[in-house]
Amino acid sequence: MGLLIASLLQLAALTAQAPPPPETPRPLSFQATLDAIRITVRPGQVATRQFRLTLDRDQQATQFKARVEDWWRSVDGKQSFYAEAGTLRRSCGQWVSINPVESSVKPGETLTIRITVTMPVEVQVGGFWCALTVDEVPDPLEAAGEGVGVRFVASVSTGIFVYVEPVQREAAILAIRLDGDEARIQVRNDGNAPLAIEGRIEFFAPEMTTPLATTELGRRTVLTEPSREGMLTAKLPSARVLPSGRYRVRAVLDFGADHYVGAERELELVRGEVQERAAVP
Amino acid sequence: MKVGPPTRYLAGLLALAMSSTAGAQTTVTLPDTSQTTTMSANVSEQARVTVPATVTFSVTNIGVSTAATAASVTADQIVTSSAAKQLRISLQANAASFTPPVAGSVTWSAADVSWNAATWTNATGTAATLSNSSYNTVATCQADATSCSTTGLVFTLGAKPTVQRSGAHTLVVTWKFEGI
Repeated sequence: MGLLIASLLQLAALTAQAPPPPETPRPLSFQATLDAIRITVRPGQVATRQFRLTLDRDQQATQFKARVEDWWRSVDGKQSFYAEAGTLRRSCGQWVSINPVESSVKPGETLTIRITVTMPVEVQVGGFWCALTVDEVPDPLEAAGEGVGVRFVASVSTGIFVYVEPVQREAAILAIRLDGDEARIQVRNDGNAPLAIEGRIEFFAPEMTTPLATTELGRRTVLTEPSREGMLTAKLPSARVLPSGRYRVRAVLDFGADHYVGAERELELVRGEVQERAAVP
Repeated sequence: MKVGPPTRYLAGLLALAMSSTAGAQTTVTLPDTSQTTTMSANVSEQARVTVPATVTFSVTNIGVSTAATAASVTADQIVTSSAAKQLRISLQANAASFTPPVAGSVTWSAADVSWNAATWTNATGTAATLSNSSYNTVATCQADATSCSTTGLVFTLGAKPTVQRSGAHTLVVTWKFEGI
């Protein structure tokens, strides 16, 4: 009996010392600067910029690791690819240094990373690019979850664009398409530097000189490699504003030069069924 | 006759009234109230993001696909340099397949995970499949939106009838926020 009580007491003591069960990790929350770094430099020049990331106050201390890598996007813009700096011919990765590379950030603290671009004396003209990536480093001590699951980490990337004059900015519109409720403008970069392209699409009824509707195109960066082409997309105005019919569709794009580029095409637009809203009594 | 700003006269009268009680008069040069100080704030493009730390699939039948509980993703305090610039949220797996509980045993590949085109506030959701070679878009916040969010992002794990080991099958996946 005495042995049983002793065993029970020992078990109780062990239970009291046992670590608490792993908690469900809380969502990661932070604020970061997202400025793409765009600098026009001369050969041999040095330029510095900063990136900041502030961890929310209710977070646990988190480790972050920064690196410079090459970056590009699929023609439709739905996929981004990252690779070791130097993968692309027009990579600026070899000229960029960062400090610090790895750092632990406490709740409410701000991580500041200094980015230094040191240009060689001899360099080709035109645009070069790479990306600063700051990754959350998974905590190796964090307990693996039970069952089948995904553990998320967060990453922020900001573009670094380096321009060496003379920079040629040239763009061409290859196609204008209407697909479902989306308008798509396919463009080609004919210059020697990445282009940040934005603009609008105007819809004209036949014989009309003022547009029936206009929609803005989200900004898209179109590079010079691995593909010179890119797609700008915009959601079409509602079917009430722009019902099915034949329209002259005009795209007007601003690509950072001293002039815009435009193209116009007559297209048949077929909309889905318009849902009439029930009348309010 | 030149007429100065009213504040100068008020200040001058005040100085005169005070001088009657003082022993000696002193000429004081009053600052020109028309001078201004310009204050400027340099605001960076920025956003605050909140993403889930984990998603768990309760797999009770390996022969059919399993949906996880809907996850929430939020991006707020969005500041951009242009009304046309958009914040893009995407995902990439850090490995080609899950890590099985027993080394070498059959497990799911990253491509077995997919997500829905969730309903987002101020964003367009995109359905896609997870990849370990590219970041695939989850959502693109609307141009000029100050925040975008969803509470209905559902991840689905495909059927894998060849899995033989129970336990923890885990995969690390990266949320990417791009300012490019």
